[in-house]
Amino acid sequence: MDPFLTSRIVSDILTGLTNGVIFGMVALSLVLIWRSTGILNFAQGAMPMFATYVGFALLSYHWGYWPCVVACVIAGLLLGGLTERLLVRGLYGKPEINPIVVMVGFLIVLEAVAASIWSSTPRSLPSPFSSFDWHLGGKPLSLSPFTVYEIATALIVMAAVAALFRFTKLGLQLRASALAPEVSRLLGVRVGRLLTLGWMLATVVGVITTILVSGGFFSGLTPQVMDGIFAYGFIAAAIGGLESPVGAIVAGVVLGIVNQFVDDFVNQNAVIIIALVILIVSLMIRPSGVFAKSVQRRV
Amino acid sequence: MNLAWTRQRLPIAIGAAVVATVLSFVSAATTKEGVALSIAFDVAIACLTALTQVGFKANHPVVARAALTLLGLDVAIFITFFLGSSANFNLATGAAMSIVLLGLSFLTGASGQISLGNGAFMGVGAFVMAIWANHHATTPIFVTLLIAVVCGAVVGLLLGLPATRLRGPYLAGMTLAFAVAFIFILSSFSSWTGGDSGLQLPTQATAPRWLLGLFHAGTAPLTTTTLYLTDVAIVVAGVAFFFMANLFASRVGRSMRLIRDNDVAAELVGISLPRARVVAFIVSSAYAALGGALFTLINNAVSPSTYSFALSVTILSLIVIGGIGTISGALIGGIIYAFSANVITWITTQTGLNPQGNLASQLNGIIFGGLLILTMLFAPHGIAGAVRHLWQRVRSRSLG
Repeated sequence: MDPFLTSRIVSDILTGLTNGVIFGMVALSLVLIWRSTGILNFAQGAMPMFATYVGFALLSYHWGYWPCVVACVIAGLLLGGLTERLLVRGLYGKPEINPIVVMVGFLIVLEAVAASIWSSTPRSLPSPFSSFDWHLGGKPLSLSPFTVYEIATALIVMAAVAALFRFTKLGLQLRASALAPEVSRLLGVRVGRLLTLGWMLATVVGVITTILVSGGFFSGLTPQVMDGIFAYGFIAAAIGGLESPVGAIVAGVVLGIVNQFVDDFVNQNAVIIIALVILIVSLMIRPSGVFAKSVQRRV
Repeated sequence: MNLAWTRQRLPIAIGAAVVATVLSFVSAATTKEGVALSIAFDVAIACLTALTQVGFKANHPVVARAALTLLGLDVAIFITFFLGSSANFNLATGAAMSIVLLGLSFLTGASGQISLGNGAFMGVGAFVMAIWANHHATTPIFVTLLIAVVCGAVVGLLLGLPATRLRGPYLAGMTLAFAVAFIFILSSFSSWTGGDSGLQLPTQATAPRWLLGLFHAGTAPLTTTTLYLTDVAIVVAGVAFFFMANLFASRVGRSMRLIRDNDVAAELVGISLPRARVVAFIVSSAYAALGGALFTLINNAVSPSTYSFALSVTILSLIVIGGIGTISGALIGGIIYAFSANVITWITTQTGLNPQGNLASQLNGIIFGGLLILTMLFAPHGIAGAVRHLWQRVRSRSLG
């Protein structure tokens, strides 16, 4: 067999790609909310975590994996919509620290409530695919059926979001109400309803991410499962530019691969430090992100 | 104040001071206690006399702030003598925390930026304090505190440089990443920071002999140390509040408030936005480092797990509930922090929850997170703002 495919570099790239699509999905969900409502959702890790707990609570009623996934997605839709209607609606047009503080508060509450209902010990989720790596010529290839499932799901979600925005009337309305809410309202677009929809959509992307993350062999579901991943997702979104979905995904994948190389060739502690340095340097060079067009602020 | 009181103020104050001095010497067991008591009363009387003078605040703002600080310190230190060890310890952590809150209040209130990483800046101060004390045990504690502050300011400068070009959510996210990364940074330098177990201070800071003789006579040694550390924390907090009050009112503070309200206008009148933003960030991280260094001093040890992301979130909750952008909000937040553990234990016992249960262990997060949301939605200026609002309504009603 070809030793190249099991070499250290290829295996780092493959592992990094698996983590990278996860970061890309978190970054994408942040960008979706940022573009439609101008809010950086600090509970973007915690809300999907909560919905995932709710959905997989049905495991104790002997539901299978896929019905539970559907339940998670429904819980995510509900949670995202309710959050926008009840919590976020009053925050539009307020000073920019207000939504940040409220969403941080929501993050604390969700994590604390989840831990008080389901305890903070990791809960392992059933997995439809094996997490054990395939072997090539006696050496492990850094790919397992589960990681292929992760990457494929992420690509499908990203493609679906892109198709929704580009090819459907709903996507056009979503873009219009983000770009020019007043004009869209005059043209008959129900902007309020679409903002809710944007939050629901972002939460569902988050829910799918959380299921993939906590379904892995080594992790499991905990109330804090998304904290670290949220940080990387934010770093990816900020590097790519909060305005740009494609930028967010590309930055996420690149960040995942760089992280894996740092982990392998330096050490594990250095991963987040290097990521932080990359973030600071990239923000100093291009404050609004690598992929964003510079925008003039109107006074 | 009416006119008669204003005219007769000085003789009455002198009379009161004499009476207080005589009374404290008569009631005290020893001469030293008498001296201590009379100092406490006379300082309070002098400060009150100065502060109640008509027009004093307007004519001598700095002296007035100094008098107010001195009065607060006097009362707070006086109270510590009547509290037990554990209450004093709580008070000391509250005083240290209020310094951190003051820094964040300044950052947000003055320049409109927000930081989710002040817990990590506290950690910088806490670890610098411990590392320095382990290598140079003879350095006086106030010098070590200053070194911790300087290190906090330098780290603040490094992280604050991109802040000069960032707006709201980017800065919040970047500081969040720093807060999450901080524990890993500590592990990377584990030969200095002591790894997971953290560091112990080589010797516990104890009161100098002259102070011991004057103020802490007749108390058991263990209590004395807690009392001394509490009083040190309170004095440092007092100095920090005094500086911050002046900074808020100074040219720098005023120009920063203009940036917060209208950054374009600020640039047009010649304020350098990047410089003002980075200065605000440095001040807030230096204050956080000072609070963290005091934490190390009070606990006599430092552990990396204290300075997790959760601490940064707690700091944000406390200052929002107290009143972000205000000085009194930091004080209120510090007091809440000091006694929150007691209150939560009280709630647990009152409601009959299982103290080892999941709900009881998460009560802290549920209450603080809930209060954070409710405060921001319904009273964005926190307790301090609500009190001020009520006070103004009462005054306008009584005048009109």
